[in-house]
Formats: sequence, C-alpha cells, structure tokens
Amino acid sequence: MITLQHVSHTFRIGKKDNEQLIDVLKDVSLQIDAAEIVSIVGKSGSGKSTLLNTIAGFLKPVSGSIHIQNTDLTTLNERSLAAFRLQHLGFIFQNFQLMPSLTTYENIELPLKIAGVEPRKRQQLIQQLLKRLDIAHVKDHYPNELSGGQQQRVSIGRALVGNPPIILADEPTGSLDSETEREILTLIQQLNAELGITFVIITHDDEVARIANRIYTMHDGDLKEATNDAL
Amino acid sequence: MRFKDQIDFVRQHVKRNRLRVFMTILATAMGCAFLIVLASIAFGLQTSMKKELLSDNAITEIEIYSEDKLDKQKIKAIPNVNALVERAEIMAEGTAKFTLDERSSTPYTQFVDFEQLAKTNEKLAQGTLPKHDNEIVVGYQFAQTLLTKAQQQALDNDDEQTKKEGYSGKLLGKKLTFTYTVDKKNVLTKEMTIVGITKKPSREWDIDERVMMPLSMLATLKTNYEHVTDNKQQDFSYATFRVYASDLEAVKEILATLKAMDLSVYSVTEQLEEINILFTALKAGLIFIGTIAILIASIGIFNTMTMAVTERTREIGVMKAIGTNPKLIQKLFVMESAYIGILGTIIAIVVSYVISIAVNWLIPIALEMATGDKAYREVDLIFSAIPFELVLIASAISISVAIISGWRPARKATNIDVIDALRQ
Ligand SMILES: Nc1ncnc2c1ncn2[C@@H]1O[C@H](COP(=O)(O)OP(=O)(O)O)[C@@H](O)[C@H]1O
Ligand SMILES: [Mg+2]
Repeated sequence: MITLQHVSHTFRIGKKDNEQLIDVLKDVSLQIDAAEIVSIVGKSGSGKSTLLNTIAGFLKPVSGSIHIQNTDLTTLNERSLAAFRLQHLGFIFQNFQLMPSLTTYENIELPLKIAGVEPRKRQQLIQQLLKRLDIAHVKDHYPNELSGGQQQRVSIGRALVGNPPIILADEPTGSLDSETEREILTLIQQLNAELGITFVIITHDDEVARIANRIYTMHDGDLKEATNDAL
Repeated sequence: MRFKDQIDFVRQHVKRNRLRVFMTILATAMGCAFLIVLASIAFGLQTSMKKELLSDNAITEIEIYSEDKLDKQKIKAIPNVNALVERAEIMAEGTAKFTLDERSSTPYTQFVDFEQLAKTNEKLAQGTLPKHDNEIVVGYQFAQTLLTKAQQQALDNDDEQTKKEGYSGKLLGKKLTFTYTVDKKNVLTKEMTIVGITKKPSREWDIDERVMMPLSMLATLKTNYEHVTDNKQQDFSYATFRVYASDLEAVKEILATLKAMDLSVYSVTEQLEEINILFTALKAGLIFIGTIAILIASIGIFNTMTMAVTERTREIGVMKAIGTNPKLIQKLFVMESAYIGILGTIIAIVVSYVISIAVNWLIPIALEMATGDKAYREVDLIFSAIPFELVLIASAISISVAIISGWRPARKATNIDVIDALRQ
C-alpha cells in the first residue's frame, strides 16, 4: 500500500555562503500494507515529521521513490498531488488544525465541499460520523468552544469523511492528557478494525507506539523496523 | 468545489472582516462613482447638444452649394430623395418693395420652388404654400417691417421719439403691391396675395422677416430687368438647392451619392458626426481620469487582499494539506476581490444616478439664481446623463481593476508552503 525506497532528504540551513547541510532522512525504505497500524517512534528532531511530510506529498525528497497504491508521488505535480491527497489520504495533526471560523459540522464538511459532493449526501455522511465520533452534541460549536479531545475527534472526522484508505497522524495525542490520549488511541484502533483504514502514526511516546501492529524506530534519519523484544 | 459552495466560502470570509472589507468597498464605490458622474457630464451635454441641433434643423435636409452643373433630374432620381428645392435671391442691383396701404417694406426676398417644397414636410404657422404666380408666403415677423413713411424716416434718422411699430392687423389673405425698381426705373409691379405665414423660429433670437415668392417670378423679373437696363445679366440671381431625404437613415447614402457627383454638400448630420467625434474624445478623456480614481481605490483592494492572505496562511495550508487544488484557492481569493469590485460598483451606480438627477435639477436653479435668467429652467438642459452604455463601461473597468488587484495576493496564497503554514 505504501512503499518507500531509498528515500533521502537533506535540508540546507543558514546563509548561502555559510550553508549547513542536515541529512534528515538517510536512505529510508519502508513498506506498509493495507489495514495496518504502523507507528514510527523516535526522539524529537530525529526526522519523523519530515518522513511523514514526504509520504503526504508536502515535501519532495532529494532522492528515492514513494509509492502509494501504485502511484509514484515524486512524479506528480502540485495539482495532481492535491487531487491524490483528497482521494487517498486523511490527516490528523498534533494541534488539530481546525478552521477557527467553522463549526464542528462545517469543519468535517470541508473536504466534501472541496471534492464537490452534493449537499444531501454530505449531510448524510456527516451525521453518521458525528454519532460515531460522539460529537453530535457539539456539532454547532466552534473549535475554541471544544476540549482538546473533542477537537481531535473533529479532526479525525475531517480525516475520515472522504473515506480515504490511509490516514497519516503526526503526534495525534501530543497535545492531550493521558486519559484523553487513551480514548483517541482506542478510537483509532476501532476505526482500523471497523473500516480497514491504514494508519501511520508518528509519536515520540513508546506507549502510543504500542497500539501499532508494527513499529519503526527513527534515529537521526535512520529508520529501522523494531523487533518485538526491542520494546 | 460547487459554485454555490465557493460563493458561500467567499461570503463567510468577507463577513469575518466586515469593517475592513466595507471600507475597501466604499473606496471602490467612490472611485467608480467619480468615474460615472464625471463621464455623465459628457454624455449629458452631448444629449443636450444633439437635441438643440435637431430641434430647428431638418435632419433630413441636405444643402448643395454648387449651382452651375446641377442636374436636377438626376438628383431627383436618387433613391429616397423626396424633393429638390431651389431657393434663389437676386444678386443684381435693385429694390424689391412690398406695399400695404400707407405702409411698405423692403424685406429680404427669396424665390422658392414651392412645387418641390410642398413635397417636404415644411410646416407653416398659418395658411398654405402658394399654388399660383401671385401668391406669397411671409416670415413670422414680416409684419414688423411694414412701416409708414414717418416711421421709416424715424428709423433712418435714429429718432427715439416716434414709435416704429409694424403692421398689427391680420396679414393672411391680404394683397400687397410688389414693385421692383432699379435706378428709380420700374421693372415690375404686381399684386401679390399672402397665402401663408412661416412658423416662429425656434430660437429666441432668430427673426424671420423674409418674403418667399414663387420661383417662376424670377424669370419674368430677369427679362424685364434686362429690358429696362438694356443689359444682359450674367449673375442676375444666385440659387441654393436643398435635397430632402425621406428619412434620417437615407441621408448618409444620399450625401455620398451627391459627393460622387462632385457637388459640395452640407448636412446637419455631418455636424452631428463631428460633435459625436468631439464628445467621444471628451468621454474617453473623462473616463480615463475616472479610471485613475478607481486605480487609487485598487491599492486598497490589493492591501485588503494581501492582508487576507497573510492572516489566513495557516488555513490555506490546511486547505492545501487536505487536498484543495491550488487553482481553486487562487480562484476563491480572486472571487473575493471581485466581490469587493462588484459590490462597490453596484453602490457606485446607485449613488451616481442620485447625483446625476440632483445635478440636473440643481444646476439650472443655481444658474437662475446667479444670472436671474429664468430661461435656464425652461430650456430643460441635461447636464448629466448616465446611459446603460456608461454603466457597462464603468462596471467593466472597476470590476476588472478589482480582479487584477486581487490577482497577485491570490497567487501568493497558492504558493504558500504547507509545512510552513501548518507550523504557525
Ligand atoms: N524546513 C526545514 N528546514 C531546515 N531544517 C529543518 C526543516 N524542517 C525540519 N528541519 C530539521 O530537520 C530535523 C528533523 O525535523 P523533524 O522531521 O521535524 O523531526 P521530528 O518530527 O522527529 O521531531 C530537525 O533537526 C529539524 O530542525
Ligand atoms: Mg515532529
């Protein structure tokens, strides 16, 4: 489903005449199958987010190839990448990234509007999700009127509503207390089981990583699959 | 994204910054209204001028200057020519005098082809056009020139005491004695009956005192004249010809045909064309000046849109992340600046109409107060007119300027880097 082959990325920082090169991804290869939960765990600054950004198509790596469902992302232009994301990928961010001027309902509706789904169908899909995610009672609330956990549920709703086969989550519980974290992780496991959605979860927290079927570890740009006894 | 959703999206964003957007719309409206009102003066004056020109000149009338090589039959045969009217006046020395009882007058005397004139829609105040040799038409103010000997004398001597009133009785049907003399020698004496009186000239200062005689009289006069003076007359009279077209549309083609016949011609429509060219230049100039006002307002739009993009960087990042086509993002922002342009233009159109009506109503009153002349209010002058054409031009200019000013900020929005934006 997701295949990365020899992906390397280097950031250039500092002034032009005094450039520093940072190798953030060093020959990363990885294989994720359908309906898996895979987590990538590592220290802060180890390159996890950069890896996820390349999978999402936000960043073109210096070298290597990224295939998602047989499409090579590195060959797509911006427009095709956008269309690809709309269809195949959902996103969950650490700080939720909800639209502050939109209500719960409208935030979840956004990807459907972008995709041009007709209003009646939209309503149907959203009502269903609101119930499933247990946020129907706050559907007319704005993000600043919601708790962190509720906000993350809205953000999960937005990721799910277009029915993508893959959801990428960068520190999905990074801003939540441990109890809420538990709830969200359980929800992810349930959604994976119910809908067969592939989850790629990035975390610095071993606890969080443990909900995965498989775990990769990231260390200074090196990616390795963890063996069971390593954790 | 469906079009309705796009509109909703734009409206939602506009609402979030109501005050800022409103001020930008206001600036756009002011610029656009300035353009419309300014140009409306050219449109209004042109309308007034046209009305003025067409009211007392027959628009279907074409004047021909060259007398000699005129082939009357050929001209009459041109399609849509209703009539070719000859008007002549005597160039040779001599005096034409009309006498009624003890009063007499030596007016400007015209010899007119009444048969042809009858085919035009020439209108008289009273009576009809002559049908016989001894019938004439007199000008509306001809009666004023019929003076007694004493009055005549007083007029010649610039005497302020004696009243110099003309004839006040009814003229229609009266018989005048026409005498033509040269060097005190009588050329012709004939009794003439007034069968018609011309219309009052439409211009206040115009005076019509002439006498129009049948053209056939001219030949008799010439023969007698040559006999009395014992001299052949080469330039006894001078004739002008007017062609009357069946309608305005035909004038242009007839003009061309006449010009092709090597005739020098004049039609008020040509003057109209000149006026049109002049006013087109004036309109273009005023619209240009007005456009500068809109351009100044466009700086506001540029500013507003740039701020909107900067403020929403994170949101644009999210939109791009979840799969919005960059082209759509650009379109949404261009729509937002178009929205400002359209709303500003609508307000400007309404305001301009109000100003235009007020101007047309107030200027004559102001002129009257300044000059004490009531005429300004009576003439019904149009100072400002806003035809649909002007509305279209102004809308096109201000909406395109709005869209162009929103273009760069919109492009900036599409170039936002997702990762940078999400980090905010
Ligand atoms: N746009 C960038 N320009 C330069 N350096 C970057 C950029 N993004 C990330 N980095 C650097 O790359 C390294 C990895 O960052 P990141 O992938 O965010 O790590 P993680 O998500 O594991 O904390 C860090 O040292 C970070 O400073
Ligand atoms: Mg990170």
